[in-house]
Amino acid sequence: MSYAREIEAALEDGFLRRALDKFAVEYRAGRDRVFAEVDERGLIRRIADVKDDAARRMEELYEKFRAEAEKRGAVVHRAKDAAEAREIIAQIARENDVHKIVKSKSMTAEEIGLNAYLESFGKSGESGMSGIEVDETDLGEWIVQLRHERPSHMVMPAIHLSRAQVADEFERATGRAQDREDVQKLVKTARTELRPRFHAADMGISGANFLIAETGAFAIVTNEGNGRLVNTLPRVHVALAGLDKLVPTLDDALTALQVLPRNATGQRITSYVTFIDGATACAKSPTGRKILHIVLLDNGRAAFARDPLFSQIYRCVRCGACANVCPVFRLVGGHRMGHVYVGAIGLVLTYLYHDRAAAKELCQNCVGCGACKDVCSGGIDLPRLIQEIRARFAKEDGEPVVSRLARYAMRKRATFHRLLKFMRFAQKPFAGKDGFVRHLPMALFGKQGFKSLPTLAKKPFRELWPSLCRPVEKPRFRIALFAGCALDFCLPHQLEAAMKVFEHFGVEVAFPMEQTCCGLPLVALGEKETALDVARQNIAAFAGGYDAIVTLCASCASHLKHWYAATLGAEAGAFSAKVTDFSSFAHDVLGLTERDFTRLDWKVAYHASCHLCRGLGVKEAPRALISAAAHYTPTPEEESCCGFGGSWSTKFPAISRELMHKKLDNACSDGATHLALDCPGCTIQLRGGADREKRAIQVVHVAEVLAAGLEAGGATPPATCR
Amino acid sequence: MQETTTDLFIARAKAAAAQTHAVSDEEEAAREVDAIRAEKGAKGLAVGVVRAAKGIAQTGTCVVVADDEAQRLDTMLPEVSVILLDSSDILPDLPSAAPFLREQQTRGRASYVSFITGPSRTADIERVSAIGVHGPLELHIVLVGGRP
Repeated sequence: MSYAREIEAALEDGFLRRALDKFAVEYRAGRDRVFAEVDERGLIRRIADVKDDAARRMEELYEKFRAEAEKRGAVVHRAKDAAEAREIIAQIARENDVHKIVKSKSMTAEEIGLNAYLESFGKSGESGMSGIEVDETDLGEWIVQLRHERPSHMVMPAIHLSRAQVADEFERATGRAQDREDVQKLVKTARTELRPRFHAADMGISGANFLIAETGAFAIVTNEGNGRLVNTLPRVHVALAGLDKLVPTLDDALTALQVLPRNATGQRITSYVTFIDGATACAKSPTGRKILHIVLLDNGRAAFARDPLFSQIYRCVRCGACANVCPVFRLVGGHRMGHVYVGAIGLVLTYLYHDRAAAKELCQNCVGCGACKDVCSGGIDLPRLIQEIRARFAKEDGEPVVSRLARYAMRKRATFHRLLKFMRFAQKPFAGKDGFVRHLPMALFGKQGFKSLPTLAKKPFRELWPSLCRPVEKPRFRIALFAGCALDFCLPHQLEAAMKVFEHFGVEVAFPMEQTCCGLPLVALGEKETALDVARQNIAAFAGGYDAIVTLCASCASHLKHWYAATLGAEAGAFSAKVTDFSSFAHDVLGLTERDFTRLDWKVAYHASCHLCRGLGVKEAPRALISAAAHYTPTPEEESCCGFGGSWSTKFPAISRELMHKKLDNACSDGATHLALDCPGCTIQLRGGADREKRAIQVVHVAEVLAAGLEAGGATPPATCR
Repeated sequence: MQETTTDLFIARAKAAAAQTHAVSDEEEAAREVDAIRAEKGAKGLAVGVVRAAKGIAQTGTCVVVADDEAQRLDTMLPEVSVILLDSSDILPDLPSAAPFLREQQTRGRASYVSFITGPSRTADIERVSAIGVHGPLELHIVLVGGRP
């Protein structure tokens, strides 16, 4: 089945949708509760520091770990790739005359395809082996093993299945009728069915969450109690883990242990955390000691540990949080959002360790909302890594036409802006009088029909500027306005609203005409050189001694601030430092409060744009401004993505539509008359969606709320507001 | 300070679905364990009893040194697990357990240390919480000195 078809099928899976929707909301609440007790940001920073250091010292830590573990009676193996790791484990089984294996959860075992290998190896009767039975004992892993499926989540492997589906599998596996409603009874089935297998097994295979170099110990984090049985009852224990699990000290493991369960399942700690150093006494072993082997998998890890950008993946502790908060995962499930590993880290690891062909498709399916980066246990910049992988694929493929066009058109500002103006004439046959394109031939736009597209404005802001520019006597501040393409050419009325606010509060505004696109879409296309070109044009255009550079576009602001500074360093330093989003400027700098407005009778819901709330960390300012000028109406999931995501939405329109629909449902849930936001991308998505779905709510910029609140009475929306 | 650490331990252990029994001394602890054995035994449930070396207040965790295999299985196989913990052995949080773990792991022989918090559990089917999967269905912590 093609990836597009798989996504359609997932979107039609009612059970999956309900299960993941419920999970997304409950997970957030549970996570917030347990993180309130600790210093979340401080712990995440420490994990990042410890793991960055461990990645740099990987070889040294490996040597130390091996020496300490072997001193305590373990045998340590290092496998360069999946095939070697499988063969090492098969050889251990062969040497110890193993016929039955019980396994506890190990994503690394999934990575190397261990079960299938051991089972097939047995069946073919090679090397005189009569066959090996492998039983997964983690409940979720056992269920997906019975179904011959991959886990759809790193922590909850069977989250995509209903209790009835589980009951069906258990009936097939046990030959006994199962309760189809009572989950507790299904769990009991697993207990009674698997208990004898723990006793009968010759070998237990587990993963390991931490490999502690100072003492050669490893730690296993579990809830069900199967992990301890796996590493205790059989005479042979094989622990399999990636080299990335190495940490220098016990203190480091205990630091990470404060975050891992909180982020994974909203627990303060799991039921069991087991620390094993060396071969302890074992009654079933002929030597009286456990036969303990530790297999450390490289599979590309040592090489990527030296990569300046990708080395940060070693901060991953496999908590699964990046999937838990991912709006795309929530809609399509883990089988469409990963290969072996699931979620944002799954996309990256698929590219690095497994299957480039699969990664190429998967890595397109990131909306770039940044929710994963925000909750990651190690603060990994996952959206950045996914973007880099896309850029690498784009480079390998040679330039697509759209990149070549973009580079040609955008290198010179005048050419680019002439092109935009020309497009206004091209759209004429389809444009409605109210600023929407509703009747584009569907053949042209395929599944984009879920929202009305904005028309290009009759006059862009830059042409309106001469009539709007007024001198301010004794200005309180002198600022420069960065318009951004979407506002300049599609939504100039939002900039006009901002001008009213600036004028009213004594702010002198300059509009440097040489400003051009911020360059964010170019970076998304992998056109880094052109992106640097336009960045330098903008820095030059804004060279005047302004107090601030204000923009109404959160995406532009985030890019001008972070990407410019990170990529151009000192060259962009002064420029980036001055960039401020409109809401922060109005709230933090102008200090606007309710005293400054006649309160509107609007009930205003708020959408926190990804680039504002996570990209810039701005959360309070827009809400406070809305409360000052109108009636702020909190609604559920204000910070979840609207599904715009730039060019992503053209590749995955069905997912984009669902995200938009959910966002509008939430925004309308408490009778709001308006939905305010700070980003033209979100405006285009949500205005277009509200129009197409005939919703009563009006989508406006925070600046429009303030401008309306300055007008006497304030009962009617401003003329520019649809 | 001691009192607040014990209180926090009890609250967090209960939050993890453990049952706590605060007793004043070893003698009372022995009577409490006998009572649990009798009650559970009458229902046909097996009871395993071990002693914890440390507790962790922040998480309601018992730290059990389980180098001995038979003793270790006593915390795994029976339906009911009973852990005796001296309230003076309760540490404040996870990082403060590092010196104890280091001591265990540098004694010149292999060790097996378990952090046990509540009974075994899963949420693998429809995220419905179920207590008692492969390990104990109940965890009782008898807190010696937990009551004056």
